[in-house]
Amino acid sequence: MRRVAIVGAGITKFGVREASWKDLVQEAGKAVFDDIPNLDKKDIDSLFVGAAQPERWVFQTHVAPLVAELLGINVTRAIARTEVACASGQAAIRYAWLSIATGLSDVALVLGVEKMNTKFMNVSQSSMINVGNREFDGANGFTAPPFFALAAQRHMHDYGTTKEQLAMVRVKNAEYGSYNPYAQFQKKVTVEKVLESRMVAPPLTLFDCSAITDGAAALILASEEKARQLTDTPVWILGGVQHVDAAHTTNQMGDLSEWVALRKAAKDLYSMVGIEAKDIDIAEVHDCFTISEIIEYEELGFCRKGEGGKFIEEGESYIGGKVAVNPGGGLLSNGHPLGATGIRQAWEVVMQFRGEVPKERYVDGAEIAIAHNLSGMAQLHHLMAYSVNKPQDVKFGR
Amino acid sequence: MALRELRKLRKLELPDTVPLSPILDLWDQQEPSGPDATGIYDFYRNLADGELTTTECKGCGKLLFPPVIICPYCNGNDMEWVRIPEEGELYAFTELKLGAPIIVENYAPFVIAIARFGNYPENGVQLSGMMFDVRYEDLKIGDKVKWDILEIVGPGDKARYWYYFKKV
Ligand SMILES: [Zn+2]
Repeated sequence: MRRVAIVGAGITKFGVREASWKDLVQEAGKAVFDDIPNLDKKDIDSLFVGAAQPERWVFQTHVAPLVAELLGINVTRAIARTEVACASGQAAIRYAWLSIATGLSDVALVLGVEKMNTKFMNVSQSSMINVGNREFDGANGFTAPPFFALAAQRHMHDYGTTKEQLAMVRVKNAEYGSYNPYAQFQKKVTVEKVLESRMVAPPLTLFDCSAITDGAAALILASEEKARQLTDTPVWILGGVQHVDAAHTTNQMGDLSEWVALRKAAKDLYSMVGIEAKDIDIAEVHDCFTISEIIEYEELGFCRKGEGGKFIEEGESYIGGKVAVNPGGGLLSNGHPLGATGIRQAWEVVMQFRGEVPKERYVDGAEIAIAHNLSGMAQLHHLMAYSVNKPQDVKFGR
Repeated sequence: MALRELRKLRKLELPDTVPLSPILDLWDQQEPSGPDATGIYDFYRNLADGELTTTECKGCGKLLFPPVIICPYCNGNDMEWVRIPEEGELYAFTELKLGAPIIVENYAPFVIAIARFGNYPENGVQLSGMMFDVRYEDLKIGDKVKWDILEIVGPGDKARYWYYFKKV
């Protein structure tokens, strides 16, 4: 397999934007093209667009060719829109990587976008219900907040995790978000403020939850040969895996505080790329809710099972701790425009490796990063590994 | 001055109201295009008869929820409808206070729970369900609950049924 690198990265401001879905696409496109001025658009032969629910939020389908038109891309090799709900963005990166690695494509544009704030906000929120099994869990009102509230309740029950520890995740991510000019929320918060914010679904308060967000982000991926021509600071893709255990509905989920599919995915990824959890300098993880990040510390192997609460309490996930988790502010600060989130995570890794972030959230000397997306009610887990160092070979661990 | 004040414009006249989109009706899949348009329609017939049921595979014995027409484990298509034990145990619960789905907004805040019926996971099921007339503070993990039948009233006059949990 050929080596693949990220050679360009661009992002829009995330938030409640006075901008249409198409405006966001164009803004992210301009940002990535401005980032890599010596790229000729004619060199882009493939396009992958991460978008979760454009049909529901902007009533538009067949979005990949629309993006091609808006950005002036003539595709000659591969084009698709990718959808795996909250991880649609990372899926777009994955298919661009594979298309280049196998030799079909040379240079691919990867763009993730979601416009979630519309004049029909209750429709936007109700649309999250069909991420679960709509006919069964959906009919019981199972949107994301109640599901993750149950995961939090079980983790507190099974392992003694506290509401204060949940709040500490938001405090950390809000601190880093305060140094991220693209983030939806750029204010620091305290544990008290998180605990006192409006109750959404106990034990989760408003500040335990990521937001309904508009935003887009884009990357240029290239083969090793093209990457050499285009940039001196490539970010190499080491590998990636996805795991789901035949699970979508409540009955298949087993214990909510155990994310077994993530545990297996992490083991698989580390063995594929030849690293251990302790080698990871930066972890961009899917903190859609504070509890998610705590369970992810455990399943990614940063601490023992059940000790995620203690891990944040002892500051181990801060820059300077065992591993810098979400130094860009995570989903909690950036907001969560579903299709853009996975691309935003890769954008953060690129900016970190290049040293192009404010010093307050810079992870100095970082060489290995992972990005974790989850989708749905944490049934499906998506992992990618990135490095400043060119991988020896890419054999997918076989 | 607005263009329409300067000259008479051709009008395209639309209905005064657009009905609630079926995508917001959480129970629409009971009859996607009429009775028996779904292979698991007996699930809904059984609810109308007062029974919460699911399918068990006669080939491999796997008890599944939701019901299916073909077993994902052995590919067998000989499925038997079985009654879910009436009494179960609360596994986890919350109370949805903000962001309830639009069609049940009037009921918020309401409790959403997961309960286990039978000997889960070996020979039982783990179901989500709504709870009414009870508050988050009144519940604890391990509480006994029962399923009961819920009548869905509207939109329109078609009778539809679902299930919910109540504390024993
Ligand atoms: Zn079977």
